[in-house]
Amino acid sequence: MRRRMTGSDYACQYRAVDSPVHRLPAGWKMLISTALSVWILVVREPTPLFLATVSCLLYYFLARLTVRDFWRDTRYFLVQFCILISLFVYREGYPAGVWPGVRTSLQIVLFFIPGIVFLRTTQVSSMMKGLRKVVPYRILFLLFTSLRFVPFFAREMQEISMAQKLRGARLSPTEASRPVFWRDIFSCLVLPLLVRAMKTADEAALSAQARGMGSRSERTYYDVRELEAYLATHQKDGIATADPKNGEGICPARTSSGGETLTK
Amino acid sequence: MKSTVNFLWNRFTMREALLLGFCATFIVLTKATLRMKLGISGHSMLFLMFFLVLARGIVPKTGAAVLTGLLAGAISIALGLAHKGPIIMLNFVLPALVLDCGGIFLPNFMTRYLSCIIISGLAAATKGVSGALIELFAGAPMDIVLVKGFFESLGGIIFGALGSLAVPAIIRKLQTNRLIPSSNGK
Repeated sequence: MRRRMTGSDYACQYRAVDSPVHRLPAGWKMLISTALSVWILVVREPTPLFLATVSCLLYYFLARLTVRDFWRDTRYFLVQFCILISLFVYREGYPAGVWPGVRTSLQIVLFFIPGIVFLRTTQVSSMMKGLRKVVPYRILFLLFTSLRFVPFFAREMQEISMAQKLRGARLSPTEASRPVFWRDIFSCLVLPLLVRAMKTADEAALSAQARGMGSRSERTYYDVRELEAYLATHQKDGIATADPKNGEGICPARTSSGGETLTK
Repeated sequence: MKSTVNFLWNRFTMREALLLGFCATFIVLTKATLRMKLGISGHSMLFLMFFLVLARGIVPKTGAAVLTGLLAGAISIALGLAHKGPIIMLNFVLPALVLDCGGIFLPNFMTRYLSCIIISGLAAATKGVSGALIELFAGAPMDIVLVKGFFESLGGIIFGALGSLAVPAIIRKLQTNRLIPSSNGK
């Protein structure tokens, strides 16, 4: 269970442990990552490169990430490492081409490490909190909605796939290398999924617009405390208010600039 | 009820924006669940190009592919599927940018096989660009960067063109069933 909580199943997965890097705000981590990446790209001599490598590894292991995590994150670069060294050796000869090859490959691997640490140590919620300050709220709404629909469409995809398999479509992973698999995947899986997506987009857009989403240029939100106070006052006054569980009735909505509106 | 209010960038309605968001979701989902271990470089371009061209086809407006690419990159980062860190965003946005530029000159390229393959191939060729840029900054000579970039992009071009090959038929099918407006405005 502990392994499940703290270990990782794939590269760049968030690792839930407590470390000084985890505790840093997302903005600072982004800044450190950018600075480290730029430093790694500009160094050429062995000593500064050694210092950059040590700093990168220190940053990585300071986040309480393990050697196993390091292998998961960097194994993708192994092929690239070999290709680059062989290209350099081919171009400049055996001993002369080895150092530039190793240096360039090492720089490329190290360039990605600060970004990987950022993903490994930052929760999506913290990322989004940081993004809220720089990204327009409508794009964030789209991003959150798309994220929200990931499990929905994953389930839809499974259900459609199962139904199509029962109808004889060849969608099993073992048939992935056969072209008939690709044809069936497009006609039996993707097309129904697209039609479903269109219907869902229609419904979601209608629902969001009915709630006043996008009607104002600035972000609006319901102030829960104010809503509760509003309902309490009106219930005391004996004014019939609709059931808030159903989202009906008149309730106060607040714009991000502080102005209050009444939304039905 | 069809929405006419422009929700994003004075260009996309909320329905269109959500549809593009869903296309981005599909890119990430297919990347994660239908991960085929073919061992050939560039096979991830198959579904990426398919959904990017499809997004440009179902929302035939400039910027549709870029928005899809941006969202797909952001979702990948948020879900921790970016094995190269935040720089993975470039892998989604650069092909989308090429598709949108192609769409400016050939607005109906999504419904024609030849133009679709050419533009998708060009877009998929950007696969090696982010890697090449990093290699150049790291001080690798231009000839090595070009040779490596060529071999990296070759697989991407083949799979990207293959992925986009299915789009014209699907767009026509959707147009015939009046799920999306036809290219002649009917």
